[in-house]
Parts: sequence; structure tokens; C-alpha cells
Amino acid sequence: MNREGFTGFSRGEARTRTATSLNFDNQGPLNKLMRLPWGFILLIAAMALTGIAMLYSSAHTNPAEAHLWKLQLVRFVVCFFMMIGLAMLPLSWWMRLAFPAYVGTIVLLILVEVMGVTGGGAQRWLQIGPVAVQPSEFAKLAVTMALARYYQMVLQPQTGRVMVHLGALAIILLPAALIFKQPDFGTTLALVASGGVVIFLAGLSVRVIGTGIIGGIASVWPIYQFVLAPYQRERVDTFLAQLFGGATNALGESYQIEQGKIAIGAGGLNGRGFLQGIQSQQDYVPEQHTDFILTVIAEEFGFLGSTALLVGFAVLLGWSLYSAARSVSWFGRLASAGAVATIGFYIVFNVGMVLGLLPVVGMPLPLISYGGTAMLTTMACFGLIIAAHMHRDEKLTARGLF
Amino acid sequence: MSKKTADLDFAFTRRTAIAGAAGGLVWAGLIARLFQLQILDQERYQAQAEANHIKLQLAPPQRGRILDRFGRPLASHRRAGRISITPEQTDNPEHTLAQIAALIELPDERLERIANEIRLSRRRNAGFVPVTVAHELTYEDFARMNVHAAEMPGVNVEMALTRSYPRGRDFAHVLGYVARASQDDLVRLTGDMTDKEAETLKTMFRHPDMRTGRQGMERFAEEWLRGKPGYRKLVTNAHGRVIEEIPDERLAPTPGKDLFVTIDSDLQRVAIERFEGESGAAVVMDVESGDVLAMVSTPAFDPNDFVNGISTANYSELRDDTRSPLYPRAHGGVYPPGSTFKMVVATAALEAGAVKPTDRVHCNGYYHFGNRTWHCWKKGGHGSVNLHTGIKGSCDVYFYEIARRTGVDKIAETARKFGFGQDWVLGMTGGRGGLVPDREWKQRVRKENWYEGETLNFGIGQGQLGTTPLQLALMTARIATEGKPFKPRMIGIGPQSQDDHTLDAPLDPEVMKLMKAGMYGVTSEGGGTAYRSGDLGLGGPRLAGKTGTAQVRRITREERLSGVRSGSEIARELRDHALFVAYAPADNPKYAISVVVEHGEGGSRTAAPVARDILHFALKTDSRRKPSYSQSASLPTSMTDAGEPT
Repeated sequence: MNREGFTGFSRGEARTRTATSLNFDNQGPLNKLMRLPWGFILLIAAMALTGIAMLYSSAHTNPAEAHLWKLQLVRFVVCFFMMIGLAMLPLSWWMRLAFPAYVGTIVLLILVEVMGVTGGGAQRWLQIGPVAVQPSEFAKLAVTMALARYYQMVLQPQTGRVMVHLGALAIILLPAALIFKQPDFGTTLALVASGGVVIFLAGLSVRVIGTGIIGGIASVWPIYQFVLAPYQRERVDTFLAQLFGGATNALGESYQIEQGKIAIGAGGLNGRGFLQGIQSQQDYVPEQHTDFILTVIAEEFGFLGSTALLVGFAVLLGWSLYSAARSVSWFGRLASAGAVATIGFYIVFNVGMVLGLLPVVGMPLPLISYGGTAMLTTMACFGLIIAAHMHRDEKLTARGLF
Repeated sequence: MSKKTADLDFAFTRRTAIAGAAGGLVWAGLIARLFQLQILDQERYQAQAEANHIKLQLAPPQRGRILDRFGRPLASHRRAGRISITPEQTDNPEHTLAQIAALIELPDERLERIANEIRLSRRRNAGFVPVTVAHELTYEDFARMNVHAAEMPGVNVEMALTRSYPRGRDFAHVLGYVARASQDDLVRLTGDMTDKEAETLKTMFRHPDMRTGRQGMERFAEEWLRGKPGYRKLVTNAHGRVIEEIPDERLAPTPGKDLFVTIDSDLQRVAIERFEGESGAAVVMDVESGDVLAMVSTPAFDPNDFVNGISTANYSELRDDTRSPLYPRAHGGVYPPGSTFKMVVATAALEAGAVKPTDRVHCNGYYHFGNRTWHCWKKGGHGSVNLHTGIKGSCDVYFYEIARRTGVDKIAETARKFGFGQDWVLGMTGGRGGLVPDREWKQRVRKENWYEGETLNFGIGQGQLGTTPLQLALMTARIATEGKPFKPRMIGIGPQSQDDHTLDAPLDPEVMKLMKAGMYGVTSEGGGTAYRSGDLGLGGPRLAGKTGTAQVRRITREERLSGVRSGSEIARELRDHALFVAYAPADNPKYAISVVVEHGEGGSRTAAPVARDILHFALKTDSRRKPSYSQSASLPTSMTDAGEPT
């Protein structure tokens, strides 16, 4: 906290600065480019390139997957420039985009429901021309933006009521319901969780939050019993069984978790070295290039490598959250923090699942896992975070919905 | 800015800090879990990873070879390409089989059989044992399959060692053959094992390379030849495909031991050729050492046909062949010895004191006893005969008389001293002991008294008496060695049969000298029944022998009266067998031989020339007959490479 203004923006000091040194929009795009948080951006690039190297390691022995790393590299380069572009976008533009993006995502989710492609037992994919996209991935960013936009609109000093937050809840639950129906329990959970974080940060009263937590715990059993599909219930059962050391069928659901744990554990402190993992190189862990890519890192680079990865994520998210806290506009604060929560839950769900702490929910590891839509969403989230950082001192005024 | 706004801002900052702290806690939890898995439980997971990808695969031992007395292979190995499918590694065996069939020629019938076998093995949960699809691949097929195997999960294309019998039919009845172990084989082999040993053995025999001896020496010396299984350390991927093999000396299988036999494979070949397609048997022995040098039974089958399983059609053909190629004549063929038995009768008579060598019997062609008439083979008779002329001219009347005087039990007792009535194993299977009849036998088996008339038939080697060519060679060797203890053997280095014993029952050397003189007379004196066969064509040495005829059926009275006796006038399969026993050189015996030419009619005309030519070769090559295995100080061990041995 090198800025004294952090403890209180009420003295108008921030606004003074906005008008002078920090208004990049008045100083030309090149200058703005130079002022981007390049350390942050380089860390993102380094982690994504690590992911591509791990992708090469996990798939190069399989002729059908050997080329995937190149594809992922191309995607990353494209997404990287997109992120830079998004980062330069004035925050007011982001705000104007929020509701249209939200509505567009809802439309896409309904289209998935109507004409989506089934993959892996769930209807998640939408074929648009040559590319297949997962609208549920876009939903994470769209909901975050819409929430921030909503609070920017309604959050006034005189409106500290609980009722205000019901609108936010509706914004979350509409896409969540559509995604849950696909069914995609993991994404639904991540969406609701990161949305919940935004509501929490927006100042929902502690009493309501406490009630919500109690209600949430109380609803675990009914959800398991009546809401979950049989295959989802099976996953939860498998998870609980392996968590408590019960009998698991090594070739069924828990095979993936077991083999993943073996790969991670076999890595030891230093790992077996790049391309040297015996589990990773010989196809023992299913989905190793997508959701279970952490097992490759853990096996080939050991505890040091996997911890470094988590620390890298922690640095990215911690800095982002810090930056969000410094933002003067509610849109900037909540959009940035929401993006942090989105990426954070991605990571927690994925790592927790791979480490056997959470059920298998089919969640990619941001920046690292193979997959275009997740890469696009993640990089867009970072773009939003950087944009909020760049315009942290900009006081936004919302007129109408756009 | 109002107080309210400031409160809201402050609340946001505070809540951000709370969220950040919560995130930090979660992160710490994840890292703690990584620490637990990667540091605390590292050893366990590393062991599991090793176990995951390193598989110990049972490695069959290489079967020992069977070598002749000069170390030339009679049974060895040959490399042959083989395709197999590991059922548990293929999702759709029918599809995989169709893929293979597109590349190499496979009859539909065979495809169906393999598909069945795969289904069966899956049902038995034995999907890890490869099922052979094709063996004996041509080089082209092997190369083509090798290229495409990577695209077919569960398909293994490999070079396998196949049992091979380079001498083909020559040793079919001696060596027998190997085959995949059947359920019956497994029951037999595991008979006296513990459950655990039996399980290991059964697992080993499931390997497509493993064979077990089904017949002959392959079966007799099974344990000697088999060796002990080891393991191969294989690195496999998650789909079970082998990535590489980690060599480990300690796990290597122990190869089976080589077995040396006393046979001279050249002599065997010469003997077989000499039969010129006739069916029959010949046994040649070294009379000094007891080594069996040739053990011929012809026609024979090719044991190579049995190694990978013989087709039903081919087997039926062999089984139904009227010339019985599956029949091991030399040691399992029981023939009446005919006149070759006369030395035994004479020995019994002399030993019993029933006759003196000089005693004369008059032969006018027939012999009356009781109310029946026995005939001599020579119409008109031999006139006055003594022991020497009796043997030389093979006078039946002389032997009717001395047999009657000696009695059946004494002849039987003497016959046993020559090795008759016993199954000589010598490392083979399928041997028979024949039959030496006596009063006790008749009473026990036939529940009848012995008729003295039967003794007369016994006296000329007919009737109930049954002998094998191997026993006849033994008898000849005992005569040639003048009654010295004699132990036949055919396994030079290897397991010896517990049932074969030394023939050491005393035989009077003086009596044996008389027998030898008689046999010399047969081949070398006027009036001898095989006078023309005495000369070996080697300048000096001659052979001494005895002819014989084994009646295939009785000569009817009508035929005798009408003069139809010569076999050329009756159907071939009813003609008599021709026998000849001999040793050479006559003055210093080295080799003894017995020859049976089935349906050859006259011992002197067909059997004796065969015996003479075999002995001719045996003596001509005599100087180099020392076995190679007795010269080397250290025993040769089984070869480790797979090529054809030198």
C-alpha cells in the first residue's frame, strides 16, 4: 500500500490525480501501452508457455495429440494480443459492453439448449462455423461484467438494502440454471461461487451471508438426492470414497484420480524431469492434456514445480485483487474482483479435483490446460483486470443501461 | 463525499482483504496437499508408478536340444515369425482379426477358431495370455505385419523359437515330438506337485512358446529338457503396449539341458535308406558299450508337423495309413522271432543238459508228436543234423526235438536272460515287452494247462512268443559278447530309465561260442541259410547272423498240399515278415543288429542284405564312432542363441 489514498478516497485527492497524471486516455495509445503492467503480463505469458510445454510433454508420444501444443500456442498468441487490446479498452467501454455481452451469452446458452452438440455426456458445445465454443465459459466473464455493471448502476450510498442484492442474484441464477441444465455442475458451481464473491464484496450484510451459508449447507443433501444426475452422484460418491480411503474401483471413475495422484506423488521434490515422467509419458492419466495437466507438471517438475505454479497464480490473483481494491469505481472494483474470483475458482476447483480434494467436476486449469474457450475466457478476464487497473482512478458515471 | 460513501468504500476494502485472506488460506491448503502427496507419500506413489508401468512377464525357458553321439542336432530350434493377440488389450477382436486377415492370408475357418478362442479366454479371465493367430510366417508376411502392428492394439508380431527336428522322419519314433500342453498333459505333469508349483507350471505352459514332450524322448526327458521359467521386465504404457525391456540377469529363465543320445544319425540315415521304402525296423548296437547306434522304424511321420498342432485331416491320414507310420516298430512292434530265436532254444537245451552239441536228430521234413504233424521249412528234410548244422540250416525238426526235451519253462527262463519279455525303455515311450510264454503264464492268463505241442512251436520262435526288434538286437549282442554282462543304453548324457537293468544273468561262454559258430555257419558255410550275406565287402571282416521268418498267419493244410507256399502267390499284407539278426566282424564282434522287413517273406532274401549293408557302413565308419560327449571334459550346456547349431 504505497498509496495513502487507499484508506479513503473521500478527500478528492484521487479525483485530482485522475484529472492530471493518470488520465492515460489523454496521452495517446503508445504511452498507454508503455504504461501497461508488463511484469504482470510477462508472468501470464510465462505461465501460459509453461502450460504449452507441458502439453507437448503429455501428448507428444501420442500421434493423434502430438500437434496440439502448436495449436494451443497459436491460440495463446491470438488471445495474448486480444488481452492487450482489451486491457487498453477504456473502462467505460467495458461497462457499456456488460449488459449486451450478458444478453448475448444468455442467447448462446439457450441456443446450446436448442441445438448444441453433445460431448462427454453433456450438451455444452455450440458449433459456430468451423469452431466449437462453450458458451458456459463466456458466461463466467459476462456474469462478472453484468454484476459489476449492475452494482455500478444501483450501488448508491443511500441504497444499502438487502433488496438491491436480489437483482444481482437474478443476474447470476439465470445463466447458472441454463448451465446446470446442460448439465455442467462444475461450471454452475464456479459461476455461483464467483458471483457470490462479487455480492459479498458489494457489501451484502453479514447476517444475510451467514443465513445463506447455513442454508447452503442445509441444501447439500437435498441437492445431492434430488437435483444431481446419477453420473454426478456417482462422481461425488467416488470422491467421498477415495477421500476417506474407502474401497474404490480402480478402473472406474476413481481410476483417473488414482492415476493422477500416483503421477503427482511420483514426482517427489524435484520431479523426474521434462519428458521423463513415467506416468505422464505413457498415457496412464486420462485427460492429461486438459483437466489433469497439473499431474504432468507435478510429476516432471516435482513439488517445487507444482508449488511454483500455485505461487505464480497467487501472485497474479493477489496483485489483481490489490489492484481491484484501489479502483475508485464500483464497476472497476467488482469487475476486477469478479474476474479474480472466476479465475481463482477455476484454479481451486481444478487443483482440488486433481489432488483428490474435490469431486471430478471437469474444470480446466487456467492458462495451462489445453482448450480454446477456456484460454479465451481467462485471457479476457486478465484483460478486464488490467483495464480496471489502468483506469482505477476513473470515476465512471452510468447513464441508463448503456 | 458523504460519510456513507466512505463507509461503503472502506467496507469494500475490508471485504477484499477478507476474500484475499480466504484465498490465501485455500492456496495454503492446496500446497499442503501437494506437500503431503509429493513429499510425505512420495515413496508409496513412486512404488505404485513403478508397479504401474513395469510388468513382469513370464519368460519361457528355452528347451534343451537333443543331439546325436557326435553332437549333431536331432531336435533343436528354429526362428519363426508369429502373430498373437492379447485379448485384454483389444477392444474389438473381430475387427482386429479382420485387419490382420487383410494383410496376410488366413482361412475363414481358422479366423473363426481364433475368435472363439479369444472369447473363451476372456470368459475365463485369462485375457492376458496371448492367443496365437498365425505362426511360421513368411518373411514378407512378417515384415508387412510388423509395419502395421502399431496400428492394431493388442497385436504382437514377434520372432518365436519353434521346436525343430532337422532330421525329419528319421527319429520320429525315438524322439517323439512336442506339442502345446493339453489339459491331459497338465494333469500328468502336475501329478505330484504342490498346488503352487502346479499353478506356476500351468501359467508357464500357457505361453505360446512353451511345448511339452508328448511322445518319445521329448516326453521321457521332459524335465531335463524343459528348464525353469524366468521373467522379462517390461516397460509398458497404460494400454499395455511394451515400450522397452529392462534386462535383468537374475530373472532370466534357466534353459533346459541338452540331451545326448548314443545314436549315430548317419548310420540311422543309411539304415532307413536301405529299407528302400519297405516297412520294417532295424536296431544297431555297439556290443562293447551297449550304445544303441541306430533305432529305425519305417515308415515314420514327421514330428515337425506336430509342433504347432497337426490338423485333424493330416492326423487321420497318418492314423489310417495301412503302413502305420505312427507305429514304433523297433521297440513297440511285437513279432514272433521265428528262427532267430533258435539260438535261445539251443542255449536253453545245452544249459539244461537236454542235448549235447554232437547229438544228432534226423530230419525228414516233418515231426510227429501226439497225433499231430509239425513241418520243417525244408521240404524233404535236412537229413541228420547236430547243433551246428541245426542252426546253420535252421532245421525246424531239430529244434522241435530239443525244445521238447528242454521244456517250455527252461526255454522261457533262458529267453529272459537274453532280455526277452521286458520293455526296454532306453528313454523312449511306446515300447512293449512282448511275451515270453510259460506254464505259469498260460495257467494265469488263459486258465489252461500248457500243451507240449506248444513247446514245439516255441522251439522255432512261433506261437505265443512275441519279441521286439530291440530285444532281438539285445539277444544278438549277448551272444556276440559271449554272455558278458550287457547294458543297453540310448541316452549318453541325460536321465536314465530306472527300469532298464544290466543283463547279467550268467550265460556259459562255451555255449555262446557254439552259438556264434552256428551263426557264422549261417552266413559263411555251405548249407547256411544266408550264405550269400556273409561277406561285408570290406575285404576281411565277415558277419555272422541268423535268418528268421515271422508267420503273419498259419499256412493252411490245403496250401501246403497244393504247394502254394511262396508269398508271391498270396496277398502282400498276408506275407510273412523277414527277420535277420547278425553281428560283425564275426571274429571280433563290434556291432550287433536286428532287422525286420515286414512282409519281406524270407529272412535270407530280404532282411539279411539289409543287415549286411548297414553293418558294412557301420564297420567302414567304425574308426570315428567315439561319441563327442565322452571326449570333452566339461559338459556342453544348452545353446543360448537360436540359430541352427553347427
